[in-house]
Amino acid sequence: MKPFKYSRATSVSTAARQVSANSQAKFLAGGTNIIDLMKEFVERPDELVDVTRLNLSNISTLAAGGISIGATAKNAATANHPLIRQHYPLLSQAILAGASAQIRNMATNGGNLNQRTRCAYFYDIAMPCNKRQPDSGCSALEGVNRMHAIVGWSNQCVAVHPSDMCVALAALDAVVKVQGPDGTARTIPITDYHRLPEDTPHLDNNLRSGELITSIEIPANNFAAHSYYLKVRDRSSYAFALVSVAAAMELNGGTIKQARIAMGGIAHKPWRLTAAESFLAGKTATADNFKLASEQALQEAKPLAHNAFKIELGRRSIVRALQMALGNII
Amino acid sequence: MSENKFIGAPVSRIEGALKVMGKAPYAAEFPVKNISYGFPVQSTIAAGEITAIDTSEAEKQPGVIRIITHENALKLPAGPPVTNANRMTRANPVLQNNKVLFFGQYIGLVVAETYEQARYAARLVKVTYKAEKPRINFDAFAAEAYKPEVINAGYPTDTSWGNVADALKQADVVLNETYDTPIEHHHPMEPHTSIVLFEGDQLTIYEATQMLEQTRQGVANTFNIPKENIKVLSPYIGGGFGSKLQPREHLLLTVMAAKMLNRPVKTVITRQMMQTNVGLRQHNRQKIRMGADRSGKLLALAHETVTHTAMNEEFVEQTGVISRMMYAVPNSLVTHRVFHTHIQVPRWTRAPGETPGSFALESAIDEMAFALKMDPVAFRIKNEPEKNPENGKPWASRSLIQCLQTGAEKFGWNKRKMEPRSHQQGRWLIGYGMSSASRGAPYREASARIKVSNKNKAVTAVVEMAATDIGTGSYTIIAQAAAEKLGLPLENIKVQIGDSSLPPTPGSGGSWGAGSYASAVAVVCEQLKAELRSKVNAQFIKGPSVADLMIAGNIKEYESTGTAKPSAGMANYAHFSFAAHFAEVWVDESLGIVKIPRFLTTVAAGTILNEKTARSQIMGGVVWGIGQAMTEESLLDDRYGNFVTRTLADYHVPVNLDVGKIDVHFLAEEDRIINQLGAKGVGELGITSVAAAIANAVFNATGKRIRQLPITPDKLL
Ligand SMILES: Cc1cc2nc3c(=O)[nH]c(=O)nc-3n(C[C@H](O)[C@H](O)[C@H](O)COP(=O)(O)OP(=O)(O)OC[C@H]3O[C@@H](n4cnc5c(N)ncnc54)[C@H](O)[C@@H]3O)c2cc1C
Repeated sequence: MKPFKYSRATSVSTAARQVSANSQAKFLAGGTNIIDLMKEFVERPDELVDVTRLNLSNISTLAAGGISIGATAKNAATANHPLIRQHYPLLSQAILAGASAQIRNMATNGGNLNQRTRCAYFYDIAMPCNKRQPDSGCSALEGVNRMHAIVGWSNQCVAVHPSDMCVALAALDAVVKVQGPDGTARTIPITDYHRLPEDTPHLDNNLRSGELITSIEIPANNFAAHSYYLKVRDRSSYAFALVSVAAAMELNGGTIKQARIAMGGIAHKPWRLTAAESFLAGKTATADNFKLASEQALQEAKPLAHNAFKIELGRRSIVRALQMALGNII
Repeated sequence: MSENKFIGAPVSRIEGALKVMGKAPYAAEFPVKNISYGFPVQSTIAAGEITAIDTSEAEKQPGVIRIITHENALKLPAGPPVTNANRMTRANPVLQNNKVLFFGQYIGLVVAETYEQARYAARLVKVTYKAEKPRINFDAFAAEAYKPEVINAGYPTDTSWGNVADALKQADVVLNETYDTPIEHHHPMEPHTSIVLFEGDQLTIYEATQMLEQTRQGVANTFNIPKENIKVLSPYIGGGFGSKLQPREHLLLTVMAAKMLNRPVKTVITRQMMQTNVGLRQHNRQKIRMGADRSGKLLALAHETVTHTAMNEEFVEQTGVISRMMYAVPNSLVTHRVFHTHIQVPRWTRAPGETPGSFALESAIDEMAFALKMDPVAFRIKNEPEKNPENGKPWASRSLIQCLQTGAEKFGWNKRKMEPRSHQQGRWLIGYGMSSASRGAPYREASARIKVSNKNKAVTAVVEMAATDIGTGSYTIIAQAAAEKLGLPLENIKVQIGDSSLPPTPGSGGSWGAGSYASAVAVVCEQLKAELRSKVNAQFIKGPSVADLMIAGNIKEYESTGTAKPSAGMANYAHFSFAAHFAEVWVDESLGIVKIPRFLTTVAAGTILNEKTARSQIMGGVVWGIGQAMTEESLLDDRYGNFVTRTLADYHVPVNLDVGKIDVHFLAEEDRIINQLGAKGVGELGITSVAAAIANAVFNATGKRIRQLPITPDKLL
């Protein structure tokens, strides 16, 4: 890898300033993604600012209800935290469906939000890739694209965001709290956090230069009793999603008061299924209604040469996730 | 056989403690003074020519010692044309021209003071090409397939007897199907590694290799160095699976660099290079035609394979050979055809030939049994051949029927319903499938030196041979054979292998390792004992042990070297190991998810030399078979010729959760022909036909017949 400077940040504002002052600088958290990419010569920072010693690993309830999850809390610690398990089991399940135990022990929540796509063409520096090198072309568009997007892609990029955690966060209406080099804090709804590729596929998200994620907040909700994260993949664990579904319902007897559904593995960002959600609101929680809801979903899908199966698999996964959330399937 | 004390016992690996403590040095772990590090530069096109290489920026980087490309490489004599006989040992000159024949080809080596410096500089080398459109796509070029003169291991390209076309017309039931198995990679845990050290005209090589002698000869031939001056050391190897059978190009580059720089060089290749530079199992397209009469007698079997090889070397795995020997077929046709592509040259991959071939054959047999409404176990037994149908030779031993019957009983096969989709539990469809497995049982000449010593009446022995242990258990098996034949406790035996200067062996490959090593040990032990007996002039009440002789004759040290060879009569028999596999699968049909909670294998492979290591071999084979069936596939981009499954996050080997209970049963079998100990190989048998058993179970569960591996969720929707 390219030689680089390493330093340990001592405060959020110095970290943000350091990275904004050097366009070649990057934050380093667990390193499970960025170090990999540096070895592959995909990322070539000349400076790494280690943020893991900042005091950002707290997980605690918010005064106004809901929960705050620190940016440098480990994925494993987050998934296994009693508050998360009890109030947001969907998030626990999603995190535990990702990567491996070893990786989750290293990986942080901030790093998980900002992990980069696993598109093989992005990873192979011999290949054209607009995300890695703007205007070089998208190799996946007409290449091997079984794992790629079916919604929201552009001719510039058909990559998907690989995170499982973020899919659950999208279903749970989380917000991302960030702080910039001048000390200003902002709050970005998770659904606006990641971008679609459009003409700027090199930008994964809407962070501004030097902005550091400090925490993620999830509002209080009544989904804990009926939620489920379903991940369909090529082997039983340790594989990225073909499709995944985060489903949550608030029930009133047999009636769905409100539902949340988000999908992973199909787009450049976690994909909220608002049409299916509004279809379900007020309906009874039955397999038939789940099926009808799934038909509302993915109407906008435009499959590539090798991934048309994701539409049908996606719809079936929506039905299954809702059934699992309801708890009536063996 | 049964009176053996050590041979066959489930002894734990004698080197196991060293390995778990990290004290067993692998090839990359030998400290060498003044070492430098090599990192290959790879082509980023699959076909064409290099027009310019600019190393200026790379050379400026700290630590860079030299960048070797075809422009400044040591000139080497051209190698001879490749044949089966010289494939592993021929001169294989590297970096001699500007031609690119496959994506990722080594086109240079950066040598630097540290690994990181070498890797960084390698990426700064700028290469300009005149690129051609590569020949990659299987369908586009398969029509060009020609008949090779001979296929791997010297098997005939085509065989036929009777008349398949006529017999198919007579048959009551006919099947005509095509089966595709994808490119697979070996991916042993340990990456390929070389450390090369010249001291005067003496050359020492630390290398992860299955074959010490071939490695030495290949280097000797390539660089014109007397092979006596070369010592290859490979005491521990983290798996090979066929990818470490020959001196690969990273080693030849490293030798060249060490020679040019007059400095020791170490090269460890990356996981990505393990996709592009150390061989692969090729994509096989197999067409099977089969005919049977109503009673379930096979009348005809045609097994025609088309596959690909590299532009510069023909390598054709023996995919159809299993169809020549498995069943009594009165009319047979087995052919192999091959075409050239800009894909690296394929290489022996665990059970080359039988692995893909058995998927096609054993799936087709299942399809035929179903069409006949016959139980697939009974159908197989009905077509059991008395002699090898290919050449009429008697079986040295063949216990397939016992494997099938015992397996069926232990598995509970009688609970299976023939009709697919007849067993459902909640969202799961449950299915049973089975297959017969076989793998050739080669046995080869091997030598050993045994030194016994007597220190104050404590008699110990050292066994020395240029053998390798690729994680299979050679150390332990050699010790067991020596303890048995010398009558000494196991802990009094020391095993010294992994050094090419010791007495030669055929190395570990083709499932011949354990049987050949152990037979050599047995033969030399007996020779040593006879020699001692003639030296010691004493009377004994009962037959003296080696220790008795040493003590009685007051002999302090004695050694004997010898060789065990295949008997003259061996070639008059057919030699194969056999097994039967039984699989239970659960299919979640709406999501295409398959679980394999239970897999049972019965094995008949002659004398089992160590029940524990043999079991591990079979289990490992089954796990790999699960990978072949369910997850493993290397995908190429036809436009560029690059692999898009470049990492182990993309190339899926099974994880623990994919592997359920694996039950392995060894059946007692006596083989008096194969070798001294009656041992046939098990290393490759385990993977053979596993994928068919699983695919057959998926059919039984769902009614869907998958003829294109792997069985990923999308194929079951
Ligand atoms: C083999 C493998 C399999 C995997 N499988 C899965 C999977 O199935 N599902 C899944 O969801 N994930 C998977 N992952 C990805 C894993 O979840 C991520 O690598 C991990 O979450 C990244 O976290 P990190 O702390 O290690 O980030 P790092 O690698 O340290 O950083 C990643 C990026 O985030 C930036 N960053 C880090 N912290 C902050 C911050 N506080 N503010 C702003 N920017 C920041 C860094 O600058 C860098 O660009 C897998 C990873 C591997 C290696």
